[in-house]
Amino acid sequence: MENSIKVERAILNLTQDDLAKKIGVSRQTINSIEANRYVPSTVLALKLSELFNKPVNDFFKLTNDD
Amino acid sequence: MGLNKVTECERTKLESFLDKFQLPNSFKKVGIAIFLLSFVVLTIIKFADNEPLWLRPALKQAMLVGLLMISISREKIEDELIQILRSKSYALAFIIGVIYIMLQPLTNELVNFILGTSEAPDNMGYVQVLLFMLLIQVGFFEVLKRNR
Repeated sequence: MENSIKVERAILNLTQDDLAKKIGVSRQTINSIEANRYVPSTVLALKLSELFNKPVNDFFKLTNDD
Repeated sequence: MGLNKVTECERTKLESFLDKFQLPNSFKKVGIAIFLLSFVVLTIIKFADNEPLWLRPALKQAMLVGLLMISISREKIEDELIQILRSKSYALAFIIGVIYIMLQPLTNELVNFILGTSEAPDNMGYVQVLLFMLLIQVGFFEVLKRNR
């Protein structure tokens, strides 16, 4: 699984800390998601989708390993 | 379906019940203080000649209480990643604890064989096992948290 959260965050001009506060997680969790070390739950993915105003599929993509 | 309802779907009744067992973050410092204080006093009374009989078991219980408080205290931001890491640390502590209990008598036998002594087998108390498991859990949780 790969994601473009970093790009979406840059479009909204948000820091990792800002994004973390908006969806109620820690900055380290956002960092782990962006670095593909952690795949978030459906709830968190939907919260991100709501914030970015885009479907989840637009910023989370399956890779060949999945 | 609203986002709150989606969140509720993912949370089972058991998860909600388990949440009630967690203490606020401030209890972590209290737990550390109790653990360190009882550890220091236990070390000091090792060199004392006559101590009250109740003191040593009471201090060991206090160490357990302190570690349990550290173990079940919430983080400042208790999010889903932290909950996953916490679960992993409990699983690791359980597996390593069981292996420790199984290997401890063998280790004693091995040491006796090498040293040529014939000491009576040392029965492990529940305090020793629980302290070991809680220490492993707290330690692994910190390591996993730092490497998240």
